[in-house]
Amino acid sequence: MPLNRRTVLGAGATALLASPVVSRRPLAQPARLEVAGVYSLSGTFANVGDLLNKGNTWAFEHYRTAAGVPINYTLLDDQGDPGRAVRRVQEVMAAGTRHIVGCTNSAIALAVAREVHRAGGIYIHMAGADEATGSECNRASFRWPGASFTAVNATVRPFIERNPQAKRWYTITGQYVFGESLLTNTRALLQEAGCQHLGNSYHSLSEREYSGYITAALAARPDVLAILNFGNQTVDVLRQAVSFGMKRNTKIVVPWSTGLDQYQAWGPDICDGVFFGVNYWHGVQAPGNKVIQDVVRQKTGGQTTNYLHACGWAVGQLLVEAANKAGSTDVPAMIRALEGLSYEGPTGTETVRAEDHQVIKDYYLMLGKPRSRMADRDDFAEVLAGTKAFQPPDRTGCRMA
Amino acid sequence: MSAQLLLFQLLNGLGIGMIYFLLSVGLTMIFGLMGFVNFAHGAFYLVAAYAAYSVSLLTGSMLWALLLGPLAAGAVALASERLLLRRTYALPHEAQILVTFALSLILQETVILVFDPLSKNVPVPDFLSGIVFLGDFVYPAYRLAVVGVAAAVALAMWLALERTRFGAILRAGSESAEMVSLLGVDVGRVFMAAFALGGALAGLAGALAAPLRGVEPFMGLEALGVAFVVVVVGGIGSFAGALLGGLLIGVVQSVMSSLWPEGARLMIYAAMAFVLLARPAGLLGRA
Amino acid sequence: MEPRFPDPTSLGLLLAVAALPFVLPTVTLASEAVVFATGTLSCSLLLGGVGLLSFGQGLFLGAGAYASGLLLRDAGLGTAAAVLLSTLGAAALAGLVGFISVRRRGVYFVMLTLAFAQMGYFAVLAAGRVTGGENGLTGVPRPSLPGGLALDTPGAVYAVLAVLCLSAFFLAQRVLASPFGSVLAAIRENEARAEALGYGTRAFKVAAFALAGGIAGLAGAMHTLFLGFVPPNTIQLEMSERLIVMAIIGGAGSPAGAFVGALFFVVAAEFLAELWPRWLILIGLLLIAIVLFMPRGIWGAAQELLARRRAAAVPGLAADA
Repeated sequence: MPLNRRTVLGAGATALLASPVVSRRPLAQPARLEVAGVYSLSGTFANVGDLLNKGNTWAFEHYRTAAGVPINYTLLDDQGDPGRAVRRVQEVMAAGTRHIVGCTNSAIALAVAREVHRAGGIYIHMAGADEATGSECNRASFRWPGASFTAVNATVRPFIERNPQAKRWYTITGQYVFGESLLTNTRALLQEAGCQHLGNSYHSLSEREYSGYITAALAARPDVLAILNFGNQTVDVLRQAVSFGMKRNTKIVVPWSTGLDQYQAWGPDICDGVFFGVNYWHGVQAPGNKVIQDVVRQKTGGQTTNYLHACGWAVGQLLVEAANKAGSTDVPAMIRALEGLSYEGPTGTETVRAEDHQVIKDYYLMLGKPRSRMADRDDFAEVLAGTKAFQPPDRTGCRMA
Repeated sequence: MSAQLLLFQLLNGLGIGMIYFLLSVGLTMIFGLMGFVNFAHGAFYLVAAYAAYSVSLLTGSMLWALLLGPLAAGAVALASERLLLRRTYALPHEAQILVTFALSLILQETVILVFDPLSKNVPVPDFLSGIVFLGDFVYPAYRLAVVGVAAAVALAMWLALERTRFGAILRAGSESAEMVSLLGVDVGRVFMAAFALGGALAGLAGALAAPLRGVEPFMGLEALGVAFVVVVVGGIGSFAGALLGGLLIGVVQSVMSSLWPEGARLMIYAAMAFVLLARPAGLLGRA
Repeated sequence: MEPRFPDPTSLGLLLAVAALPFVLPTVTLASEAVVFATGTLSCSLLLGGVGLLSFGQGLFLGAGAYASGLLLRDAGLGTAAAVLLSTLGAAALAGLVGFISVRRRGVYFVMLTLAFAQMGYFAVLAAGRVTGGENGLTGVPRPSLPGGLALDTPGAVYAVLAVLCLSAFFLAQRVLASPFGSVLAAIRENEARAEALGYGTRAFKVAAFALAGGIAGLAGAMHTLFLGFVPPNTIQLEMSERLIVMAIIGGAGSPAGAFVGALFFVVAAEFLAELWPRWLILIGLLLIAIVLFMPRGIWGAAQELLARRRAAAVPGLAADA
């Protein structure tokens, strides 16, 4: 039975008040491994948080132990508020927890990463921000998915190789940190490939109506439209672009997409013929992928694993693999074990790069299928390429603290 | 920007603006009638969008969705007025703002409770799913239909305001509710009807917008912000002001998206503050 | 009841702030409570003191949070200087916004504060290179205080926040009890009459707005000290709304109400959310109930209950109660 959160906090507070020093010392051989997950079950990001948390929980239920020690997983609901996330992490760490996983957005991950590092813990997350394994990297934090450099280089590059005649590009970009990174990487690649960048339209983080940007894109008559943003905004821009008949003369590339859950929101008619970049796809043949899918199918009564399930699973699996390799749940030993670790993950054999703590894994370029060619209701797209495209460690801007 | 592109941005602005008009006209009417600031107005838009989503899911017919969505919103508005809001007419504006704010919070959370927080796709009606060729350019048939429907509703409303007894009372009431009650009209019923009608029109905006932008639980808050700007710019209490304000904000937003997108929102709220200071009655409101 | 300072609630506040870290399950929860209590105070002061409903207090809280974050991280200032400067900066910004906004009254005033709040949020997003945009301002240090007190434990951070919070509350009580406070009360009761008595009501309202903005800015700086980073939601409209909700729940009539409201909300968010993720429905219902039936909030109701008890216990007092 999972430990009641309030007893944990209560005991922790007492320990803290009695002697703040004692709780900082890792126990020699704990009876069980306390792991805390930071996800939003309410608030603006609840849509992602719930599925991530499920994937994560199922991973721990599947593995049960790490380095022979039973895992006790506690959810910290941050209600979508980064301030609350940091506070909850401070609390569980003050109460002795050293192993933290998960995040529902980059602001939360970047803040939690610093907090965990400061308090001598280990943190494995799925933030999209490049800074997580770049300028904001630290010894305690590890990131599973590929970020903007990977997304662009594993989609735009193979796309250009397959469509050498498509030279004229137009981009619609979210004007925020993540969108800007996608755009910078895309520009560099287009220049290198000798493609022409006709123009870019920026939209803001709060935008929901894109007809103005799409009209500007149509007027430029590009061969390719690249949509460079994330979340619901990706869903809206593609939906509205297709409604403007953009697919008739233009190929559409969406380098950053979450795959299945977004395909389901669009439906096959919108997805058909569109190129997507994804961090995970259930159709990929890999031993690690089969394990997750069996568990998810059993837990959900037959559902297909999506990116969010896989992300939650992956950070849980990484923690377990690290402890098993180290033969201990001691934080420094686990960090050493993770650096250079190779394991069978959701996308095949994945390795953790020591220099910036980025997991090196495949990122897929996919092409949406017509409804008539779908083998089952989740068979929206086929994988055209899987690439491990990561920035060389000396270019990430990461200086390990 | 080429002339043709500008023309299409104007067309986009017209489309968005007509939805903004439908969204805001109820808010301005209620404000004009009773000086009532309704922070729950965006929630009526939200409720209708989700009703339209459910109906299209159940029946597969977007036409039914467009009909039942506004009805649902009108019903919620009517019920809120009867059960809750009428109790606040005698209270200060601040109390009305707080109660309607609480109501919008409750409706938004209830939507998440009944559905979930995920964004949902609402299909465009089949016969409007194509594109229309306009010279070199193409335009989604559905967006043209939205402009048409909203224009028809605006025209019908204008006729009703000008030609019917209820319209006359509404117009007179927004000038002076006291005078109307002196004429022996039951003001309570007028308020009730205004709420139901305003809620249904915001609902129509929500149902029409659903296939364009999908539905998600926070769309009501965003709509409320826009509606405030439209009402303030157009002139509080003015039907024509809501139309002008809606179109103006729609067009400015659309054209700005080509010129200075990150500043578009900033500019819209700056414009709202400017109008409040320089001409608080708005462009077409009575000073 | 005439506001006085110090009054029994001043002592009550002092005791409550001292007891919080021992009563609540964690010290950090207590820290969150005093940060939001200070932010709520800025709303109560305007609404209860002058009768101004502002949807813009989140703007000043956010401004204080970002200013202190930038001063601590990029300008390398010490904790005391950063807190002081960002409080004054927020007060200056509020003075400017107030100067513009008090030209309009009633709902027009509310709308103006709303417009300014939105502008602040979009400005922070547009200036992503400085503010970190949607990622927030990360890696803000907590330098030790001049006396050598290191802010490296939750307890030390709480001690500092508690002192700042109490200073703000005592200042507010002192101001409300001063002649300046009585003019504000006169404006609240009947602005036209206050004007007829010869008071420049606009200047008084601007001053109150600047003071409240400074308190909100202080709350923002406290938020930064507490978390060591500035999340973008500190300056979102939702922050303004949250502060108003806390002020109303506690009762905007007195500073103590702000404290009670913030404490109630923070603790409810902690425990209700655990039981039911849709707990905001309950908060919405509570808000309606308070506006309709308990206009003086939880604190006002508690005071009334206390007064009635006392009156019942001492028969002689019942007559003039």
